[in-house]
Amino acid sequence: MAIDQINGCIGCGICVQACPTDVIRMDEKSGKAVIRYPEDCQICHLCRMNCPVDAITITPEKSILVIVAWG
Amino acid sequence: MNTIIKKYNLLVLVIFIVVLPVLLWSRVIISHRALYKEMISIMTILAFFQLLGQFYLNRSNKLVSYHKMGRVVKFHKIIGYLFIGILIFHPFLIVMPRYLEPGMSATDAFISLITTFKTGVVLGIISWVLMILLVLISLLRNRLGMKYRTWRTVHGVLSVVFIVLATWHAINLGRHTDVFMSAFMIVVAGGGIALYLRKLIRDLKEVGGENAKWNVAAPVFGDGRSRECAVASE
Repeated sequence: MAIDQINGCIGCGICVQACPTDVIRMDEKSGKAVIRYPEDCQICHLCRMNCPVDAITITPEKSILVIVAWG
Repeated sequence: MNTIIKKYNLLVLVIFIVVLPVLLWSRVIISHRALYKEMISIMTILAFFQLLGQFYLNRSNKLVSYHKMGRVVKFHKIIGYLFIGILIFHPFLIVMPRYLEPGMSATDAFISLITTFKTGVVLGIISWVLMILLVLISLLRNRLGMKYRTWRTVHGVLSVVFIVLATWHAINLGRHTDVFMSAFMIVVAGGGIALYLRKLIRDLKEVGGENAKWNVAAPVFGDGRSRECAVASE
């Protein structure tokens, strides 16, 4: 598992749209994002990078370095 | 006994609004999260608990009456202005990591944050506005032209509304609010509100009643003696 936990989600749904493999879904009851299919996570970090409140934690052991373009 | 209460009542308050919140926060420290983010979190949690503690640092709490009320009010003001200052900036502190990490920009993150109209966020926005209102009516007290008692009631009632909404917001959105932290917040907030409401009801009963301090004529008993005379002769 790469995506670890979601704490302090505000329910904006940006991470759900950002995830290419649909790991994260919106919980209808709470209106917040939940990790539904963790085994499908490709550790792309898109959910974490697009979360406005930095609610998503990704396990560092399995993380790959994020390449950031200069300029 | 009075000395013991005087000596330890503030210590008990410090345990409730500083030590226990830190302990509860340390239970839920999120693994792999950067230290500066956790520092921002604990700073916000402590600031919120200091505001909860304000309900115990006023004349509705009989235990603080062992201290000089002027000193208690001084602490009330200092703590209020200092920690409300932190809480006013906490929506901006939340998006601060976006300046330091790749991905969404901080401005976009802030816009997403305030335009997500879900329960927790809406409660937070209303609480934030109420907090600003509380600061303004405190700073501009002399310019509002209210009697002190009226101002005190407005300040108190507004604080109760603010703390109810803010506690709900913290329980709904706080990343460190698990069951224990939520229960603790409810207990501390509930206790403070109960203390204040008891004082408010007493104040309201006093207005116009025979114990009203501003009654010019002393109440007269059946035998024609004034209250003071009746008490003195007993």
